[in-house]
Amino acid sequence: MKIDDFKKLENEGAENLPSEERRRFLRFGLAVTGVFVGGSVLSLTSARNAEGAMGPVPESGKFPYSPHYTMVIRQNRCIDCERCMEACVKTNNVPSYGYRTTILQQEREIGKGEKERVFMPVLCNHCNRPPCVRVCPTTATYKDKKTGIVMMDYKRCIGCKTCMAACPYNARYFKEENRAVDKCNFCFDTRISKGESKTACSAACPAGVRIFGDLTDYSSEAYKLIHKPEKVVWVLRPETGAMPNVFYMND
Amino acid sequence: MKRNNKSVMTIVGLAAVVGLLVFSSLSFGEEAYDEGTYGPKAPILWTKPVKGVAFMHKTHTMDAGLSCDNCHDKIFEMAAGTAEQKADFTMASLYKGKYCGTCHDGQMAFASNTRCATCHVGVKGYNKLTGAAPQGKPAGKH
Repeated sequence: MKIDDFKKLENEGAENLPSEERRRFLRFGLAVTGVFVGGSVLSLTSARNAEGAMGPVPESGKFPYSPHYTMVIRQNRCIDCERCMEACVKTNNVPSYGYRTTILQQEREIGKGEKERVFMPVLCNHCNRPPCVRVCPTTATYKDKKTGIVMMDYKRCIGCKTCMAACPYNARYFKEENRAVDKCNFCFDTRISKGESKTACSAACPAGVRIFGDLTDYSSEAYKLIHKPEKVVWVLRPETGAMPNVFYMND
Repeated sequence: MKRNNKSVMTIVGLAAVVGLLVFSSLSFGEEAYDEGTYGPKAPILWTKPVKGVAFMHKTHTMDAGLSCDNCHDKIFEMAAGTAEQKADFTMASLYKGKYCGTCHDGQMAFASNTRCATCHVGVKGYNKLTGAAPQGKPAGKH
């Protein structure tokens, strides 16, 4: 079957809508084997049901960790002052060629010829199903059993960088000084384990963009924000099925 | 512009008539920016209390129709950078109707506590407008 013939096929429906990567992978598998076995067998991740209108926020009481750390990003408040990045670099000894968190910039059309600037802070999403952990051959990167933070054991890292390729969020870099991959760990070693309630970036933000918190604590600001009535909450790249724990919303 | 040359004037006049007749809407939008009337063309860049905010005179004068004395010298002094030296040059002051907040109150213009990134161009915008290399990342280094 040629690609032109594929285009003529009927829509498969939205219940099990595969991502673009999955389609490409399936096409590749079909070309190699000549047999169409089906998504759940061939693809690396099993078919994921559409989240539908309920959004990406997990149901209360079903958080796998306790405390279940999260960061809520109120995106429209970000002004790219980059104090978060400065604080992160200082706190976690991040070299100039890498980052644990950064800010992306987009332009969004708001009318004919009119555009608005959007700043988007990004960091490790501490996914419930982290692709980086799945691919690490030495278990140097792992999900912390208690907090769910995706951590690094530098001594175990062999620098193969497979995790960097697997991460959907580009949240990892190779730190020459450690000869190991480095990433955001919600400041666990530098602040949170020492009793601080906020990460360095969250504490440095002058605009209340980054709200760090525990989802199992229903009185926390983070929990309240993503459960606010009539508010849309989204995550980045939900189609990967990684179930990220960094949530985005506007104000 | 030399306006005392007769032949040039004739050509300009003819062009203007043709322009008005045929391309009236087009020629209307091609008004030249005059710094004497509309203020400095270069953006005013503030780095305090946060980096960075870009103020464009063009947006406020030529596009929005304000004149110099709407803001100078009562709200902002003529010398660029005077306001940011003051301790009360903060968002909190803007919400109270000071500085930009005089007009950006949600009535005359969009409120100061909305559409943040319209004025805040950030470190990225500051570097782009000043041509500075991002901090800690010198250009050309591998």
